[in-house]
Amino acid sequence: MAVLECKDLSKHYGNAPALNHVNLAVEPGRIVGLLGPNGSGKTTLIKLANGLLTPSEGEVLVCDMAPGKESHESVSYLPERTCIPTWMSVKQLLDFYGDFYRDFNRKAAEEMLAHLNIRLTQRIKQMSKGTREKVQLIMVMSRAAKLYLLDEPIGGVDPATRDYILSTIIGNYNPEAAVIISTHLIADVEKVLDEVIFINQGQVVLQSSVDEIREEKGMSVDALFREVFKC
Amino acid sequence: MLIKLLKHEFRATARIMGPLYLILLAVALGFNFSARLMDTSNVVLNVLAALVILAYVAAIIGVFIVSFILMLQRFYKNLLGDEGYIMFTLPASVHQHVWSKLIVSAVWFIATGAAVILSVFVAAFNVSFLADLASVFPELFRELNAYYAFNGTAFILEFLVLMLAACMSFSLQFYAALAVGHSFANHKMALSVLFFFVFQFVMQLISGTLLVMLDQGPLQSLLSGLNFHVSGMPAIHIAMLLMIAMTVIYGAVFYIVTTITLKKRLNLE
Repeated sequence: MAVLECKDLSKHYGNAPALNHVNLAVEPGRIVGLLGPNGSGKTTLIKLANGLLTPSEGEVLVCDMAPGKESHESVSYLPERTCIPTWMSVKQLLDFYGDFYRDFNRKAAEEMLAHLNIRLTQRIKQMSKGTREKVQLIMVMSRAAKLYLLDEPIGGVDPATRDYILSTIIGNYNPEAAVIISTHLIADVEKVLDEVIFINQGQVVLQSSVDEIREEKGMSVDALFREVFKC
Repeated sequence: MLIKLLKHEFRATARIMGPLYLILLAVALGFNFSARLMDTSNVVLNVLAALVILAYVAAIIGVFIVSFILMLQRFYKNLLGDEGYIMFTLPASVHQHVWSKLIVSAVWFIATGAAVILSVFVAAFNVSFLADLASVFPELFRELNAYYAFNGTAFILEFLVLMLAACMSFSLQFYAALAVGHSFANHKMALSVLFFFVFQFVMQLISGTLLVMLDQGPLQSLLSGLNFHVSGMPAIHIAMLLMIAMTVIYGAVFYIVTTITLKKRLNLE
């Protein structure tokens, strides 16, 4: 059973199409890169799967359900911006996630926070942008969800933090879950991906496993991306 | 889930309202001391006392304004701003989100009223001329009761329910305007303000039409055909209950507008 399925999914903003008749399915146990240039529809697709936008046409299914109260229990979502309430302390944020998500592993979150020397009494407001992103990612990855939707998880951080974030993602996800990572920084994420979806101007251009790309085309995902999206 | 949402909503708002109530009570205490000092002939003390009295008035206005702004800001920032990404992906329904905001706002409106009344008692405690003034009220109620068989308890209860319903309907009108305004791609805030006035206009148009219909047309003949007679106190109670019912309907309309918009047209930036 696919954890994420798009059937003829379209979304328009006014007259401008952001997604154009997208069909795709993501199976559990895969780490999938949702790759495309800026403005290609990556964020729109992820927001639709979270019910933060409503489709103009077609449908999106998460674990066979339309996005809503029930599907949210199975999805752990990292938005492309930092959205955690800034007035909270880290401890209050742990309470928040612990209260709302049954699959939240508080101990794992506390260990990761301690590893990064983030104190529980520290307020989000007092943190740097990069630290906020790390805290938010820790909350998201401390859940045992069926689908992780990570929108630009490494966008605004330094290379050392990028490595930490990627190892956090690999180290924490359970093997029956699917992880979708949207990004345009392909070289950095390539090593963790099982599968890629290339998306351009609201349409899926390619869905393939990384091994297939390497074996059949004889090039890295990064090189293929540069070829497909050549300006 | 609603209980959990309420818990976190109280946590988010109490950190603002709590300290504010403490300031109000502290200033009320200052007012009490100042009112006693007013009797002295020392000019400096008198000026100081007058300033504290002004501060008390400002504090009362302040708590009301802050509880109003907080009602708006929690809905706007927590649901329709960046925090909405977290809130709308929680395993909670739109109804639960709207009720949690509504209940918490209503509780703070009531608490603000209670805190102001408490502060008045603090301010007036043992100040002779204020105590004299306060003693008028029991007398007033006694007289009203004697002449009109006025049921003070029932009236006050009805009045409180009406106030609660009015606070909630008032909040819902703002929620509906914000939700509809933010469902558009651009000019979200300007459209929210516009929709608030559009809603106001439409509701006034409807209630105006209803009023006119009461006086003429089929509704009037129906009412006069019923030929019921109530007088005095029962009429007041019926009027109060009718007003409560109208206010609840007014709020229900905006509740439906808010929840449908958040479900079908959610459009977070």
